[in-house]
Amino acid sequence: MWKLIRHGLNGNKPLPRMWRTHDLKDSYDVVIIGGGVHGLAAAYYLAKYHGITNVAVLEKRYIGSGGSGRNTTILRSNYLTPEGVAFYDESIKLYENLSVDLDFNVLFSQRGHLTLAHSDAAVRTMRWRAEVNQIQGVNSSLIYPDEIAKLCPHLDLSEHPRYPILGALYHPPGGIIRHDAVVWGYARGADERGVHIHQLTEVTGINVENNKVISVQTNCGTIKTGMVLNATAGWCSLICDMVDVKLPITSHPLQACVSEALKPFLDVVIVSGSLHVYVSQSDRGELVMGASIDPYQSYSLDSTLGFLESLSGHMLELFPSLSRVKILRQWAGVCDMTPDYSPIMGFTPVEGFVVDVGWGTYGFKAGPVSGKRMAELIATNRTPDLIAPFYLGRFEDGALIGEKGAASVGH
Amino acid sequence: MAIQAAVGRLPETPSQVINREKIVDFVFDGKTYTAYEGDTIASALVAAGVMTFSRSFKYHRRRGLLCAAGACPNCLVQVGDEANVRSCTTPVQAGMKVEAQNAMPSLDVDVMSATQLVDSFLPAGFYYKAFIRPQALWPTYERFLRQAAGLGKIDPDSEPGYFDKIYKHVDVAVIGGGPAGLRAALAAAKSGARVILMDDQSSPGGHLRYRMDEIDGLPAYEYVAKMAAELVGFSNVEILTNTTAVGRYDRNWVGAVTGNRLIKLRTKALIVATGAYEIPLLFENNDLPGIMLGSAVQRMIHLWGVVPGARAVVVSANRRGLQAALDLIAAGVHIEALAEMREEPDADLIRKLSAEHVMIFKRTTIKRAWGIGKVQGVSLESLHSGQIHEFPCDLLLVSTGYTPANQLLFQAGGKLRWNEQIHEFTLDMLPSDVFAAGEAAATHLLEDIEREGELAGLQAAQFAGFGGKIEKVTFLAAKVEERRAERIPWTQIHIAEDEAKKDFVCICEDVTRKEIKQSIQEGFDSVELLKRYSTVSMGPCQGKMCNINAIHVCAHYNQKTVAETGNTTSRPPVTPVTMGALGGRLMEPVRVSPMHDWHVKHGAVMMNAGLWKRPDHYGDPSAEVRAVRERVGLIDVTPLGKFHLRGPGVPGLLERVYTNRWQKLDVGRVRYGLMVTEEGVVLDDGVTARLDDDFYYMTATSSGASGIFENMEWNLQSGWSYDVHLLNVTDLRAAMNLAGPRSRDVLAKIIQGVDLSNAAFPYMSVRQATIAGIPVLLLRIGFTGELSYEIHTPSGYGLHIWEALLKAGEEFGITPFGVEAQRILRLEKGHIIVSQDTDGLTNPFEAGMEWAVKLDKQDFTGKASLLMANQKGVTKKLVGFEMPDGTIPEEANQIVRPGNGPIGLEIIGRITSVRRSPTLKKVIGLCWLPTEMSEPGQEFTIRVRGQMKTGRVVPLPFYDPDGLKLNS
Repeated sequence: MWKLIRHGLNGNKPLPRMWRTHDLKDSYDVVIIGGGVHGLAAAYYLAKYHGITNVAVLEKRYIGSGGSGRNTTILRSNYLTPEGVAFYDESIKLYENLSVDLDFNVLFSQRGHLTLAHSDAAVRTMRWRAEVNQIQGVNSSLIYPDEIAKLCPHLDLSEHPRYPILGALYHPPGGIIRHDAVVWGYARGADERGVHIHQLTEVTGINVENNKVISVQTNCGTIKTGMVLNATAGWCSLICDMVDVKLPITSHPLQACVSEALKPFLDVVIVSGSLHVYVSQSDRGELVMGASIDPYQSYSLDSTLGFLESLSGHMLELFPSLSRVKILRQWAGVCDMTPDYSPIMGFTPVEGFVVDVGWGTYGFKAGPVSGKRMAELIATNRTPDLIAPFYLGRFEDGALIGEKGAASVGH
Repeated sequence: MAIQAAVGRLPETPSQVINREKIVDFVFDGKTYTAYEGDTIASALVAAGVMTFSRSFKYHRRRGLLCAAGACPNCLVQVGDEANVRSCTTPVQAGMKVEAQNAMPSLDVDVMSATQLVDSFLPAGFYYKAFIRPQALWPTYERFLRQAAGLGKIDPDSEPGYFDKIYKHVDVAVIGGGPAGLRAALAAAKSGARVILMDDQSSPGGHLRYRMDEIDGLPAYEYVAKMAAELVGFSNVEILTNTTAVGRYDRNWVGAVTGNRLIKLRTKALIVATGAYEIPLLFENNDLPGIMLGSAVQRMIHLWGVVPGARAVVVSANRRGLQAALDLIAAGVHIEALAEMREEPDADLIRKLSAEHVMIFKRTTIKRAWGIGKVQGVSLESLHSGQIHEFPCDLLLVSTGYTPANQLLFQAGGKLRWNEQIHEFTLDMLPSDVFAAGEAAATHLLEDIEREGELAGLQAAQFAGFGGKIEKVTFLAAKVEERRAERIPWTQIHIAEDEAKKDFVCICEDVTRKEIKQSIQEGFDSVELLKRYSTVSMGPCQGKMCNINAIHVCAHYNQKTVAETGNTTSRPPVTPVTMGALGGRLMEPVRVSPMHDWHVKHGAVMMNAGLWKRPDHYGDPSAEVRAVRERVGLIDVTPLGKFHLRGPGVPGLLERVYTNRWQKLDVGRVRYGLMVTEEGVVLDDGVTARLDDDFYYMTATSSGASGIFENMEWNLQSGWSYDVHLLNVTDLRAAMNLAGPRSRDVLAKIIQGVDLSNAAFPYMSVRQATIAGIPVLLLRIGFTGELSYEIHTPSGYGLHIWEALLKAGEEFGITPFGVEAQRILRLEKGHIIVSQDTDGLTNPFEAGMEWAVKLDKQDFTGKASLLMANQKGVTKKLVGFEMPDGTIPEEANQIVRPGNGPIGLEIIGRITSVRRSPTLKKVIGLCWLPTEMSEPGQEFTIRVRGQMKTGRVVPLPFYDPDGLKLNS
């Protein structure tokens, strides 16, 4: 705060750049592909905890231009499996301290998160999650319409809707955050510690010799390196193709939209799996809304009218009084879906090529913990226990993780 | 309450759209105002002398009418329960309750406007730099910040209203009814194409509706009205007014909105003739009320007869600016001065203005405006000498440039390119079915606009298959090309070397030049990052007003050209659309069985089962259970998935989709089948009966029905050549299950054509018969564990058969039973429900269904995964349990043991089903346990509502373990 006052009194002298531009060096110890929250967090923690600062983050557009800037900013840790809960819980804890850690307010608003249940089966699933969460030490419980009404009076809790609300999983620490700020904060933190952030730098090839990575080709030149981290989310299969690592991943569009700004009326995050809706009201007053992934595979970032139609219809099922609220803007992102709705993190058959991919619709929630643990993996050359269940080989070993119930539309 | 009369109207003219005979009253911020029919809220308020319409987003500065075209955020108001209404395009209605937005406590006294006094402490990205420590205070700060944000309000009691959708299909759709669109529509219509013309105003004509320039001896508005009238004469043309196209999606799928209707239009060819937005200038205090765009002033004068000031200063950079000055003079406004940004303005108009003794400053722009609450004077600055001239005024008319309304073209895949020749963005690389004409393509001179329109109309018609005039097209195309090369700028953008105070680049979000400069200094130097950090162009106008200025300012501070700087992505919708219109009527169908009304009439409590409504129970579920166990019951199972499979390839298909064997199923026999996913996870179960050599009948679970159908279709279409015809008859067949020891007696009374004896019709077989003259399919299977018959019949006869069975069963005490009783019955028998007792990872071995998996048969879906799972062995098992102390756990309660977790527990399993069994008089259920704990007699701990309770493993099934009842 004092900094701001001083800046104001100084007649607004130029503020320092948050990250600098550099020429591409001939070689880096670590090359991170993807300038989103995962890649930048990994760079930040490599520098901060492991003293590895000769690091390049390569971003083909501008930082945060992929999923990190396109998600609906919801954070939570009320997952279904013990592996999932432990992992996302660490992520939430990192997020809770992120503003102070980065000295950049990422506007984390822990306003509470409600996953609605519209059927007996959904109530059972919510109870399952609540029970698992409580035993794992995560604040989460099954609540019923009277309590839901207190948290979110605008919801239609009557028996009239096509799918009446029977209960909800209430997760008080869940909430929303300013997603771009997380990206910028990590970028600044990494830059301060010597990491080079290269925007408009697209990887065009990766050279492997004797099954070891030796260099990365980009549109701006070739970089020698023995360690590459693929953190490219929706585009990860294309990067993995460059080293012949096959992923059980399909890329699907995921769409979202915002309304015009309204005075605050929605204080919690509302998610309905049956209606394929999640919604929160940002600090700017906009309703930020999304649905489940599009059913077809595509790398397209085009929006569809059908998305707006079905989302609006379902929103009005939940909130009939919003029929005259206007949609301002819609967009799409690309999600890298795995068969078990859990990520793929760790080593690959190619030496010096590690992945942090398969993030589907929930990658943003895991940015900090993924960055921290992938940095640890790169620095120590061993897989941290927390991310061990997410190894690539699990699809061949049949050791899948059962997050589908909590992750499919569970934002 | 003070009544303010409509004052300041000009005499009637033919271009005006108000009906002075009809007067309507409405309320704005508690005061009653009078308007004429045809007025917009804004025109009526301006006529009444209102200058402040709203308070701005961040600094709560006064904002007045600026664009009068529905683009800018300044005139947003709350109308009743609707927030963010554009008052300049919303017709006044009698009794309307209009309120100003974002004013605390009122429009005139807004305490939040004090924020602008400390704006030097509020740099770009202020929030990111403040309130970081102490961390514990952030939630408090946030609450305050949230309250300050947002514009309109939500009324929780607001009635949803009626919204619906309209579907259209045409050869050529023309978006925009100005001169370009009208010419295009006429040309396409003459070619014979079916044409739709959409315009967002109440009548076509575009900017000519409010222009007086003489064209072909007629005033512009009459000239264009004639064009529109000609179009009305075509039977193959539909004109949609008050209709805004909001998005162009894949393959010319166009979304448009008219009132409470969403129009969904598929067109072979699309012509975008959406005109241009007039854009504001950057200077100190450029947001004061009383500063208006030239087109806004012309709209006020010519459409509503309203004069928004008495003493004006005009800043112009094109013909229309000068014309607007002449219009002001004609309306009786005194022009204090006219600043013309060009060196050599149009001589003809300058002559006319000089004749009116207007003081004209060439190569001059505006440096600053001043005033308290409204514009009271301006400083003009010579771009040659820097000399300053000051003038008092109550209206500043700014008409210095345009940006094409080309969002639909961008959405269609066009690439934006800065055109230095005309100082506007133009688009190229349009797809072959999209055409641009007129101001949307940055062409502003009327004869060129009309030519481009005609060309686009002919080309679009040709694309849609209505060709012919090839020579004409060639000629026009050449001429258009030639004229485009000769275009001169209609837009002047002057970015002064340094930023001024309160020079707003973005009026939606209150972003000044200084904030953009700071953002760029901090590294947000690409337009996309700049947008996200400074929030420039992210407000209600979505960049319509600010984008061009923002890009110029960005280029200026980066010391780059505008072409190098580029543009941001324009996203749909073009203008904000209500969720009501987008959602329309809720199209979530309710599926009911033919017996639904009977259930309701007989007191059934219904439940949702996916899309279906099903009876949960009629009375006491325990009594329904006892009826089935002791006598006979009848349940409606119509929601079951039901499929006809015909052809010699059926056994092969069944072998692929099911895990068990199907090559040897005799005609008249039924077999249980289990399906798994490629990952080996239990997906669905059901039975398949062989009715004839090449005819099979399959059932699937109610919730799995549509997925299983798709899955089988996928198998049929994905390279394996099964000779199978698959038909989904789920909706064509009603189904019911007659269950209980007396069910054979009930059937015997009314069935013909079948020997019901156990020997002739044993368990797991199928027969075709008739009941009361109706053909039925009879499957002797049993989910309940009793002797039972599943009866399938054409759905039209469902109720008939249902009632016949009930009547026949009267003497045996027949009872209808619902889903709850069925759940208890099946649990007593130890049958699993897929996706309740199994989850997203369960394989059949764990679920105790290894008997249904034949790993030695040829390939089937999931075989590879199951082979692997089988090798690994089973680490957990689904088993039956009972509660010795009678506690009823909740389904999904966790089975735990002491461990290292935060509350000292480790999860080792969970309860999936539990009920108190009326038959066995104890609490029974199914649960997952580690294999080593799954032997009957072993005990385990369940966390039930936070308490630790003991369960005991017991063998399955709980009821009739030898299956004597089923086979009786």
